[in-house]
Amino acid sequence: MAEQKTSSSDELRIALLGAGAQGQVLMNACLKIPNVRFKAVCDIWEAYNLKRAQRMLDKFGHKVNAYEDYRQMLAKEKGLDAVLIATPDFWHAQHTVDCLSAGLHVYCEKEMSNTLEGARQMVRAARQSRKLLQIGHQRRSNPKYVHSYKRLIQEAKILGRITTVNGQWNRSLQPDNGWPKGSSIEPSILKKYGFRSMEEFRNWRWYRHLGGGPVVDLGSHQLDIYNWFLNARPNTIVASGGIDYYDRRTHEWFDTVLATFEYETTFGKVRAFYQTISTNSNQGYFESFMGDQGTLVISESGGRGAAYREPTAPEWDKWVSMGYLKAPTGEQKKPQTDAVLDVRETVSPPSFELPVKFDDPYHKPHLDNFFNAIQGKERLNCPAEVAYETAVTVLKVNEAVETGRKLTFDNQEFKV
Amino acid sequence: MKQSWSKLLFVFVCTVLLMSCQKSSEQQNQQPAQQTPQRQQAAAPAQGIVQGQSSGQTTSQPGQTTTTAPAGQAANVQLVQLDIKLPKPMFVGTPTNIAVLNLEKPLGKPRPPFLAPAGTRNVAFKKAVSSSDEQPVIGELSMITDGDKEAAEGSFVELGPKLQYVMIDLKARHNIYALVVWHYHKQAVVYHDFIVQVADDSDFISNVQTVFNNDIDNSSGRGVGKDMSYVETSEGKLIDAKGVQGRYVRLYSRGNTANELNHYIEVEVYGRAVQ
Repeated sequence: MAEQKTSSSDELRIALLGAGAQGQVLMNACLKIPNVRFKAVCDIWEAYNLKRAQRMLDKFGHKVNAYEDYRQMLAKEKGLDAVLIATPDFWHAQHTVDCLSAGLHVYCEKEMSNTLEGARQMVRAARQSRKLLQIGHQRRSNPKYVHSYKRLIQEAKILGRITTVNGQWNRSLQPDNGWPKGSSIEPSILKKYGFRSMEEFRNWRWYRHLGGGPVVDLGSHQLDIYNWFLNARPNTIVASGGIDYYDRRTHEWFDTVLATFEYETTFGKVRAFYQTISTNSNQGYFESFMGDQGTLVISESGGRGAAYREPTAPEWDKWVSMGYLKAPTGEQKKPQTDAVLDVRETVSPPSFELPVKFDDPYHKPHLDNFFNAIQGKERLNCPAEVAYETAVTVLKVNEAVETGRKLTFDNQEFKV
Repeated sequence: MKQSWSKLLFVFVCTVLLMSCQKSSEQQNQQPAQQTPQRQQAAAPAQGIVQGQSSGQTTSQPGQTTTTAPAGQAANVQLVQLDIKLPKPMFVGTPTNIAVLNLEKPLGKPRPPFLAPAGTRNVAFKKAVSSSDEQPVIGELSMITDGDKEAAEGSFVELGPKLQYVMIDLKARHNIYALVVWHYHKQAVVYHDFIVQVADDSDFISNVQTVFNNDIDNSSGRGVGKDMSYVETSEGKLIDAKGVQGRYVRLYSRGNTANELNHYIEVEVYGRAVQ
């Protein structure tokens, strides 16, 4: 049982460790949570990230101390309740362990770590410290996902027997990240923190010793949903991928990956497909759960989220009347009658949109959950043990691509 | 015999008409690529601008603007296509939740050419910029008119929350035909209460004219806007300024769908000095 905040004050005093792009996403979401006060910020890029974060927080009335070295921050900032960690993946384990050891609750961005050993250290540190560790798989707190899982899949069982999952995150070509002239970090500082160059610092996600590449950066969010919604861990994986497009000298991880998982669930076998493409954004990103009675297509993207009833399935009127689904609008498309081949098309199913309206920043509900858990009001939606299972699932994809063989998950792999 | 003559006459008339059409087509094809005569305005009524010495008649509806030149003056004005250089597209990072009323649908294709009187150029380039936020979060105000339209770090200025403006002093009165504005195109975001005004003085008291306003509920107190909100892209937002006259240009905004801050990468003001 983790220790909760015992102070009489409702105010939570926090620090941000890592003020780059993702750190700013967390900062902006936290600024919408009334009882959270930033007290310190830390980033090794003093001339840009650190300056920007400190000035920005100042604009919102949060006077913060700024640090380049997180150890110095932990030594000097004695009134903190929690730390948000948004540093590159290869720093997550060290930062999390040190912050937990300093008696602070930790919200750490996904992926937990770029190595399973690092992720295991984080789980153990959370247990030993009796502090909370929430991993940033923010869909776990997203009202649309929570509604889909609890109401549609678990309670209403509208999909019937789930047989297949399909998901993707396709992105357009992206230029490498640069940096403003005159703002480079000193080589000695870069070396101190594990980077060989400024270019590597700014594009760490592509390097093998620093991150996990697109399938870890993007797929991690979605494969986490596969495990959650299926209430299972995969048994096997086979994957294909490669550095097909980008310069291999500066892009060490695979730009294109297609993986197939097999799950043995309580309701039978499920095959789950996942792809990430870094050269074309067609169809964007979504997860699709398919059963013998319906399909659920869901995405963190605001405009997506609907269920489709199979023609042979019972009516969903009950769930519409209960407010679990919106009534379908528009006419059903009829199968083509002039098809040359006998394709035996079925009628396109009607679309039942999800009734959940969600206008907040995507990360806010997950941060709300973390802060509420610190105050003893809720349980964490993505504690270390749960995120560890996702890390095992995700990191195995790169291994499967590397070996080119079908790999098996040992059930013990998912436990620490 | 009479029938044969009729047939011959018919063939002759058709041949003359055909040759006439071909000649006209060839003449059109020989026009310089960047110059479009006034008579072609009808082909692109929403984009073309004809400005005589006095204002033409302008009608606006959401998403559509039609300008008619004063009779007898339009024929003397030669229109040219604005040569707007675009930065490279750059959508990266975590997507944001966009829930905005009155949001225009993406065009789905490159913006059509914009026509303005010959001699029109970006008169904001390297001009001084001031702001309601004198201490930006990051970046310098001078970045707004430095010609760098990339979305990378070091190319944009970030201003504080709430309603903020930047103001460009064009140093003289100009006829302003168009503005192109890049707030921040590294993410697909929408800026709230985006308002563009032109005036003769820096306090915006004299000859204040609004050329764009998507503040549909007047929450920023500068009048109810009828323009639509839009998603930032590397193409920037082109605003038809209809040839309004003024020296100072102010651009207001009140945060965006990703955060409460205000950003500018570049603002171009296409105009000609008032003679």
